[in-house]
Amino acid sequence: MIELQNVKKIYPNKTVALGGVTLRIEDGEFVFVVGHSGAGKTTLMRLLLREEKPTSGKLMVNEFDLTKLPNYKVAHYRRQLGVVFQDFRLFPNKTVYENVAFAMHVVGTPTSKIRKRVPAILNTVGLGDKLKCYPNELSGGEQQRVALARALANNPKIIIADEPTGNIDPEMSIEIMNLLLKINRLGKTVIVVTHEKSLVDYYQQRVVTIEHGRVVEDKVGGMFE
Amino acid sequence: MSRYNPFYFVGQALKSLWRNSVMTVASILILASCLIVLGSFALLVADINLNLDQLGLMNEIAIYLEPTLDDAQVEEIYDTLRTMDNVDSITYVSKEQGLEEMKADYADYSDLFVIAEGEENPLPDMFYITYEDIAKATTLEYQLGEIEGISKIIFRLDLAAQIDSFKSGVSLVFIWFLVLLFVVSLFVIINTIKIAVHARRNEINVMRYIGATRTFIITPFILEGVIIGLLSGAIAYFAEWYIYTYIEQVVQTKIRMLEVYPFSDLSAYVLLGFLLIGTVTGAVGSSISLRRNLNA
Repeated sequence: MIELQNVKKIYPNKTVALGGVTLRIEDGEFVFVVGHSGAGKTTLMRLLLREEKPTSGKLMVNEFDLTKLPNYKVAHYRRQLGVVFQDFRLFPNKTVYENVAFAMHVVGTPTSKIRKRVPAILNTVGLGDKLKCYPNELSGGEQQRVALARALANNPKIIIADEPTGNIDPEMSIEIMNLLLKINRLGKTVIVVTHEKSLVDYYQQRVVTIEHGRVVEDKVGGMFE
Repeated sequence: MSRYNPFYFVGQALKSLWRNSVMTVASILILASCLIVLGSFALLVADINLNLDQLGLMNEIAIYLEPTLDDAQVEEIYDTLRTMDNVDSITYVSKEQGLEEMKADYADYSDLFVIAEGEENPLPDMFYITYEDIAKATTLEYQLGEIEGISKIIFRLDLAAQIDSFKSGVSLVFIWFLVLLFVVSLFVIINTIKIAVHARRNEINVMRYIGATRTFIITPFILEGVIIGLLSGAIAYFAEWYIYTYIEQVVQTKIRMLEVYPFSDLSAYVLLGFLLIGTVTGAVGSSISLRRNLNA
């Protein structure tokens, strides 16, 4: 469960990035976070990833109180999350298998377990036959699927996708969104930050709209204005 | 709880060193050069000390005894010397021994000593004593002057003090050298690791989002510094071996009046010192660089 209570983020130069956001996302929900550039979506993501702390208010993610979380516990907290970026952020010098396995190495998973789990996750995202390929041998959509597999590798409870379809063509975008929905049906909470109106309208999920650092609309099956 | 594989860290460090090979080689060469200069200076200090000690003048006092003393009185003076504070060693040289030593020193003129043999021997019986602490030497000199039966005390306090201050000066320069070279080497390592961090910043970012701990992220970089230090230490050791052995040969064949330690006597200290200084410099340099360039 993710809960924000009157969360404000004001930068030292007095810029108000979030002006009091209150929001609750239950376990297993699928949520689009939409808004124009500079609306505060990125700041919200940064707070959820605990790259920054809120200036005031309360921000809880599962049992973690991010307003009080000490730096040394941040790594442990982030293992609750799977993150997908617009630019994939894969390691170009590692194969598809190695990219996914790396996420498991990072948290100290034994090699024997990695060997079993990585092919299984890659099968889930439809890349079971691309284990030995390097990212530059894959299409944008395939690269994003590898990124998704990596995000799933450590079995996180929450998936945060920041503009996951921003760098891929519309057909592939549908594929990625379908995958995210599939992951959601497996019980994961999925938050998709996007400004792609057509996708949001098409999928008819809960939509949280942010403008000028505030939640201006929050409705299920909402249309993106 | 799962544990990290140590081979992973070593592998990452070696890969990174290979990827930034130009900077790696530059760091190793600069650190090795610093170590060679430092090692050469340390060996020079060791050899200077060896030669100063060989002079035998550092802490020695010659005591001339009255010619009229009998054996019992000499024995009494010996016992007094033995009980005195700050006396390290006592050597008795009879006037006959003294004459023999003089003959040996001036072998070409042995004829001259014929007239000085037996009853005609003009030399006195003597004690040579060495002391432990130069700071208390003046007190010792005063105490010796109080002993009955001593005709003369030859004391090279001025020379001893000069040599002592020369040794202190050399040691001081050595310490400053050590500090200076350590700082220079640190800067080089700091920059190498900075470049390594920069080259891997995207990777580090992803590692953070995946939930990598600070230890997991920084260990390969620390190892990188340590590996640079170890390689520099090893290279410096072999270079020092070659340089010192060459100098040793030159001194032995051309400047025979000077003595130098054989390299084999010092090699273990040199190797250990180089590896230790190299490793510490590498690890400290990496840590400083990470603190500055990686806000993990």
